[in-house]
Amino acid sequence: MKDLRMYQSDDLDAVRRPVSLANGLPNAHYVDPNMFLEERDALLFSQWAGLAVAADVPEAGDAVPIDFLGMPLLLVRDRENQVRVFQNTCRHRGMILVEEPRKIEGAIRCPYHSWCYATDGRLVSTPHVGGPGQNTHPDVKRSELGLTEIRSHIWRDVIWVNIHGNAPEFEVAMADVIERWAEFDKPLYHGGADSKFQLKVKTNWKLAVENYCESYHLPWVHPGLNSYSRLEDHYNIESYGNYSGQGSLVYRQLKDANGTTFPDFPELDSKWDTSAEYIAAYPNVLLGVHRDHAFAIVLVPQSTDETIENIHLYYAQPDTDPQMRAENTHLWKTVFEEDIFVVEGMQRGRHAVTFDGGRFSPAMDGPTHCFHDWVASQVQTHRAAKQAAE
Amino acid sequence: MSTLNDAILEAHDQRDFVALVTLYQRASMETDDIDEACFFATQAYIFALDTGHPNLNELHQFLCAHNREE
Repeated sequence: MKDLRMYQSDDLDAVRRPVSLANGLPNAHYVDPNMFLEERDALLFSQWAGLAVAADVPEAGDAVPIDFLGMPLLLVRDRENQVRVFQNTCRHRGMILVEEPRKIEGAIRCPYHSWCYATDGRLVSTPHVGGPGQNTHPDVKRSELGLTEIRSHIWRDVIWVNIHGNAPEFEVAMADVIERWAEFDKPLYHGGADSKFQLKVKTNWKLAVENYCESYHLPWVHPGLNSYSRLEDHYNIESYGNYSGQGSLVYRQLKDANGTTFPDFPELDSKWDTSAEYIAAYPNVLLGVHRDHAFAIVLVPQSTDETIENIHLYYAQPDTDPQMRAENTHLWKTVFEEDIFVVEGMQRGRHAVTFDGGRFSPAMDGPTHCFHDWVASQVQTHRAAKQAAE
Repeated sequence: MSTLNDAILEAHDQRDFVALVTLYQRASMETDDIDEACFFATQAYIFALDTGHPNLNELHQFLCAHNREE
């Protein structure tokens, strides 16, 4: 009988061994609330994390409050059509500014003392701040009291945020994956209300990443794909330190009764005629590209064992057939729902105290190990920085 | 004034911020006390900011003219 303590250690060096020898992340990374907070800082707030999509705020003045790992954020499309992310907190008394998604007709007015902010974050009025009817005070400098803006960047319509503000520029941090899909760096059109859905799953967000980026499970969990998308038609995508995923060599386009397909993204290499790729852009965004549509899944961690998946589908042109879009959405929803029992089952499995993180298939689990290795390296870096600061 | 006061309270109750712009502006114009006028004009101005009301510039100019707003 092995000593139980060995299973409860946080041996990240074991995770970082080569895939054939490595163990997976220890249980604590899935079930321990303290680890959830540590990973929030190391993996999500210090990196470029997915928050939402620009299509969530399609028109100027649209505002959506989002609780992101306990952090109250406000997504706004300003009057100049720029998408911005602010702390959803008044600079006066820290009141939450916007409670529900809504259109900002004029200014963002705090419901407490009515300090008002422009949609670009400027503080534009401080009523009665100098006494009744006196809206200025020499010590309350509006230029210093605008909304706190969170560093953000839009790529593939996903709004990425770097909460701590210390990550390299987005184009640098994500250079490899941007380069890989440079051919797809073209206008994307969200399919609208029929092309988005949300799944609430009882799992740690990392298990959703891990399941997404490997094809090993396809013949067992998605047997419907087996007829044309066989396991041997897939390949691993592994960029250690950056991203991982899977590719398929047998993508078949959806067709309506007349054989019509969705329009293609322009000027793609012929290899994409029958290929598709699915990448987990670390930490929490799952992306897919095909010749005629793409999707983005933003994982919003809620707790150690709860995750919201926001799924959005995109097309190469704005006016695609709504019936085909609905069918495509249904197809993907079916696939993603088939994954729920495994990500929830793996979560429950991690409460087994002697589970040692598991072992990987050297041939099939590279993309998953790639993610574990990234998690372990980022946590180690975070701990080292924290220790150095003490 | 009591009728206007009732109308203001009713508009607050209904969260009718557009109505509050003109109601507070009326209150501002109905008083000879400049401090009271600026108080009501401020209320009107803030709801004008909130709603993007067309009277916004007019109210802003009034408050600036009395050194109450930037």
